[in-house]
Amino acid sequence: MIKKILIVDDSPIARKIMRTCIPKDRGYELLEAVNGKEGLEKHRTFKPDLTFMDLTMPELDGYKATEEIKKIDGNAVIVAATADIQSKSLERITALGAFAVLKKPPQKSAIREILDQVEKHLAKNQKGGVDE
Amino acid sequence: MNKDIGGLFSDEDKDILQEVMNIAFGNATADLAEVIDIFVVLTVPQIQVMKIHDLPAYFEQNIHGFDRLWKLDQKFWGDFAGSGLLVFPEKTGKFLVELFEAGDISAAESKPFDSLEKEILLELGNILVGACVGKIAELLDTRVTYSPPVASQGESKDFSALVETFDQEQTAITLKTVFEFENQNISGLLFLITNQDSIKWLKKSLNNYLESFDE
Repeated sequence: MIKKILIVDDSPIARKIMRTCIPKDRGYELLEAVNGKEGLEKHRTFKPDLTFMDLTMPELDGYKATEEIKKIDGNAVIVAATADIQSKSLERITALGAFAVLKKPPQKSAIREILDQVEKHLAKNQKGGVDE
Repeated sequence: MNKDIGGLFSDEDKDILQEVMNIAFGNATADLAEVIDIFVVLTVPQIQVMKIHDLPAYFEQNIHGFDRLWKLDQKFWGDFAGSGLLVFPEKTGKFLVELFEAGDISAAESKPFDSLEKEILLELGNILVGACVGKIAELLDTRVTYSPPVASQGESKDFSALVETFDQEQTAITLKTVFEFENQNISGLLFLITNQDSIKWLKKSLNNYLESFDE
């Protein structure tokens, strides 16, 4: 079950939009990080159930941050939230273990769909299912 | 940011525009990848507000390391009006011609190299500026029209011709994105420059855009 969500994005507006689009009635605890480096640190500290990760960021980009997080926690659920929709970018982040890709600007319906998918994935893992 | 000018455009306006530019350029590169097999590495866009007469110094500060360069300028009109400017090192033209020839593009067969190089760069400029400005217009719920892009090459870093199209005493918003063609050691810059007449509309539209997520 999703309790904590980490939003990693250098843009304060992108983080605000993401917060606005995540349904409030589900009671998630939302955390934020302003780049991949801080995202990596906060992931270690807060152990979120789901991370929305921008790809183009200063300090440490979303690709490297995803790679590092997956090294530490292979079961980490990371959704790339990106405006870079080039097929090679999507292939690269998927190969690094992203659970899904959310195209920017995010649509509330797309976020709900991803949240439902992640809930199912986590429930399956809790019951001893196989990781994706 | 210059405080005198900053009053026209707040930090939050700038942040929203930066995110809109980020989305727009991401879409533009995806459009480009559909036309030619090229992967563009993106960076975080930068927004600045300045007087038009400060633009030449701004370009000089931002464009360095290119001995000779290509400049592509495309004007756009509407609520959101201004100029799109693409700047590449001159070797980019040769690289793009080779890329097109490798793709067996029929246009490559009959045209002299110089002419083909210019045509390919014009098309590249048209795609990147058009897709980027078009996406900004779409996100901000308006429509723009374009003049044909103009390409020039040489050693000159003189941008006076571009700057002269604006009122020197007015304020400009510059949106800059640095991009790189993967594995080619070629990078370029895309600037979108919009004039003071667009700022009032832009501020209102950016705030409407942000508020649309609350609905």
